[in-house]
Amino acid sequence: MIKHPIEPDAEPAVRLNDVRLTYETKEGKRLDAVAPTTLTIRAGEMTALVGPSGCGKTSLLRVIAGLTPPSGGEVTVFGQPPAMAQQHKRLGLVFQEPALLAWRSVADNIRLGLQLNPRETHSSTEIDELIEIVGLRGFERYRPAELSGGMQQRVALARALAIDPPLLLLDEPFAALDEITREQMRYEVQRLWGISHDPTEPPRSAIFVTHSVPEAVAIADRVLVMSPRPGRIIADIPISTPRPRRPEHEHSDRFINDTAIVRAALRSPTTPAVPLDAA
Amino acid sequence: MISEPVPDLDTFDAPEPRSRRLSRPDLRPTLTWILPPLVALLLLAVAVELWVRLGDVSIWLMPRPTAVVESFFVDFGRYFNEGLKTLAVSLGGLAIGTAAATLLAAGVAHSQMLERAVLPIAIMVKVTPVVALIPLFIIWLGHGWNPKIAIAALITYFPVLINAIAGFRDVDPRMHDFFRSVNASTWEIFRHLRWPAAVPYLFASLKISVTLSLIGAVVAEFFLSGQGGLGAVIWIEQNSLRLEQVFASVLMLTVIGVTLSTAVVVAERLFSWRLDQPVTAS
Repeated sequence: MIKHPIEPDAEPAVRLNDVRLTYETKEGKRLDAVAPTTLTIRAGEMTALVGPSGCGKTSLLRVIAGLTPPSGGEVTVFGQPPAMAQQHKRLGLVFQEPALLAWRSVADNIRLGLQLNPRETHSSTEIDELIEIVGLRGFERYRPAELSGGMQQRVALARALAIDPPLLLLDEPFAALDEITREQMRYEVQRLWGISHDPTEPPRSAIFVTHSVPEAVAIADRVLVMSPRPGRIIADIPISTPRPRRPEHEHSDRFINDTAIVRAALRSPTTPAVPLDAA
Repeated sequence: MISEPVPDLDTFDAPEPRSRRLSRPDLRPTLTWILPPLVALLLLAVAVELWVRLGDVSIWLMPRPTAVVESFFVDFGRYFNEGLKTLAVSLGGLAIGTAAATLLAAGVAHSQMLERAVLPIAIMVKVTPVVALIPLFIIWLGHGWNPKIAIAALITYFPVLINAIAGFRDVDPRMHDFFRSVNASTWEIFRHLRWPAAVPYLFASLKISVTLSLIGAVVAEFFLSGQGGLGAVIWIEQNSLRLEQVFASVLMLTVIGVTLSTAVVVAERLFSWRLDQPVTAS
């Protein structure tokens, strides 16, 4: 059953307190990638992060994943530093490119996360079951290069889910796919987001980085809009379309209205978002 | 858990699962590749034969190809045994050189300091013809097998080092991020990411160094003609101007070179994950 109660009282999945990120360029100039950001992502929440290219969405995601240390501020994931989330394998990463091991079969790629840092492996998800769920039955022995782009990205999703992480971090996972596959994957990812999950862990949250407005509105409970660099969160828009969502929902007034609000926020980075038909 | 059946979204354009059993090799392409050079070689031999016979060329300058072939088969035991010695030197050097270079490359791939310290020296030695060191090696290591193996090892060392470093580094940064995101250890990253990534590079460098090691072995044998080996045979026979024996020894070296190179290609087919090759059954 797909059921993701957002638990307001539970420990938040992610908490950013005045987090900023500054790069030093080769000429020694400072480049502000992410302006001071304070943000709470509740447990069980699916959050989309939208913004123009180069606004620091990916940088922010990397900070949360503990892959890039912030230049200032404090990051906690389930109340602990990101390094602890890595250590306990509570992060499921999916990138724009599938980034699979070319020499491993589909099944062995999915198994990778379980195999690494084995002391922390707590998942009970059977690889076979996972292969079935992501629709790769019959392709277990294939090499990634023998699969289509969409199938490769399913492998990457399954690999992230295999360790049963309470936080999924998805960095434009469908940007490299063709439009048709991409629209299907919107609903795939929501279904996969809900697959079996260790009840002793916090409900699964996800942060989904994208620059597609319809994708963000179709997937998320909440859309965060980022300004051009230095990235700042300029709008926080709740999405009310009920779950489970279906492609038909994209024709509803509610969906169209929500996309209009997000687009308006993207268009006017300095003023707060205003619904177009504020009736 | 699934709440509703899910259509196979993009499996329709995917290839059918095919049998993983290796099919019987088709000999026709092999023949079309092997026959033309064989015919060309034969024509060349016939031309030389005619030139030597009709042009009345002195046997001190150029032996008749038929005489070379005759010597090769009549004295086959000798060329074979000496060839084994050369092969042993070559393989010994190759094994030591490859192992040592791979080990250092693994260190360099993990440490920028080590890279800065080692790479300039590596490139310096690379542009130096290492056979120039043979006299020194004889002084240091004596007149036995050791200086020969040392030269063969040194000559194979640098192609492997450079390639292995490139291989260990040829890692998708996203993949590296994934390993870090589950707190994989440096050893796990090496074992499951860097090492497999380097395998095609190692085979590419082996193709180069396998012939280099043979060169090193033969040149070293010139200097140590008392120790045997085809290099020694060539050296001794040319002193007596017995060119048939010289050519027959070269022929045996060619056979060894072809065998070694083929062995590397076969090993690559068996052990490499490269995608233009069939998946080995597991």
